[in-house]
Amino acid sequence: MIVRKVCALIGLTALAIADPYTLGQGISLGDSLTVGGYFSTEYDAKPNKKNLSVEDVAIMAYGDINSMFSYFGELESVGFYNKSLLNGDEKRNFTFRIERLYSDMWMSDAFNIRFGKQITPIGYWNKEPVNVLRDTTSNPLYSTLLFPRFLTGIDINGYVPNTQGLKYHLFGQNNHDFDDEYVNIPNTHFFGISVEKELNDELSGGGSVGEYITFTNQKTRYMQVSSKFDDGTWQFLGEALAAKSEYTNNQQGSALSGYLQGMYRYTSEHAVVGRYEYFNDHHSLYKDNIGVLGYSYRPLYPVSLKGEYQWHSLNSENRLLFSFSVLF
Amino acid sequence: MKQLVLILSLVSFVLGSEYSVIISKKVPISTLTSQEVRDAFLQKRHTIKDQKLIPVNVIGEDTLRIAFESLVLEMDRNRLNAYWIKQHFQGVTPPITQPSAESVKAFVQNVEGAMGYIPATMVDNSVKVVYEF
Repeated sequence: MIVRKVCALIGLTALAIADPYTLGQGISLGDSLTVGGYFSTEYDAKPNKKNLSVEDVAIMAYGDINSMFSYFGELESVGFYNKSLLNGDEKRNFTFRIERLYSDMWMSDAFNIRFGKQITPIGYWNKEPVNVLRDTTSNPLYSTLLFPRFLTGIDINGYVPNTQGLKYHLFGQNNHDFDDEYVNIPNTHFFGISVEKELNDELSGGGSVGEYITFTNQKTRYMQVSSKFDDGTWQFLGEALAAKSEYTNNQQGSALSGYLQGMYRYTSEHAVVGRYEYFNDHHSLYKDNIGVLGYSYRPLYPVSLKGEYQWHSLNSENRLLFSFSVLF
Repeated sequence: MKQLVLILSLVSFVLGSEYSVIISKKVPISTLTSQEVRDAFLQKRHTIKDQKLIPVNVIGEDTLRIAFESLVLEMDRNRLNAYWIKQHFQGVTPPITQPSAESVKAFVQNVEGAMGYIPATMVDNSVKVVYEF
């Protein structure tokens, strides 16, 4: 009873000092705690599949510990609810996993440290991996199959001195992931360098090189480039990655993938999106050319309704996707 | 939006700089570029020239803030809102706010590293001007 009263008092005090709530920017309870989250629902239809799902449900919290340290934590349940509209099968997964858990140490303009589980600082797409922030429901294969999307390790980052805004990341992992079942490419060795430069307010570009070794002892080295133009009406985004791998049986293989995406926002709520992607993994013999045409409607920016159709050179993969997602 | 930027730019050109970005006199920074001011207010950088900075906005849709967003950040409210929503996902919040230009000036005077913008007519020797627009 006393605990409940104390909690209620803390809650009321926090609300009394809180900034006004803005949808999509979390509830701020002062500098040391902001709480937010997101969810997305999807309808996915292929020739032999029609699924309705609550795909991601996540909560996150972050804030400043003091002027030098800040923290970020995110728990997520993937595949929260899934129902097949063909045979009625239902699946539920209410287990929340650690999506991100890290701390930042802010030292100087040129040298800062992030340690813990974090999004790998490669390119543009990978840094905004949730449905609500994307402009299509689907991800390019480039962003999900060719490098570990998360890093449980250290990222030294900052601006290179005397370069007018050239940002760098030196990152490394030499241990297991926080949760090896919840990473796209489980590994115990992942090192890389990324750079990004804002050429002006509308145009930026960057690249990354790195190496990782998977649980199956596949050693992969990759090289990646990316560029983005956004003037508020038009956005063009392009990323490409070339990878070379060595396998335990002394086999070697290479993979090449990239995409070009264009988006036209004809109002602040409505946009048309088109994307072409090339994916070719010589080792797994998985090769596909994918065209995507989509529509995005955001009645408010953190509320996203999207529809898209994908054409694949592998015809069985053609699919229709709709999604509804909210960031709060 | 482009018309507003044009009008504000024209007024600024004809009358000279109308607004000043100010910082505490204790801070060893004498000038900042528009890119550095922009990076600080978009929370892209926590430190500039190895000085920790605390950007301060005027609350709401004050004309002073609209002018700053148009002329320095070069973003309208829709674009800025989208930007902060993306930053929320990265654990970054917008700058703190003060209710008026007077309180921005008082905050800058009293908090080392604080940086705000006020009408040029309010500038006196209690604060240091690092950028004008």
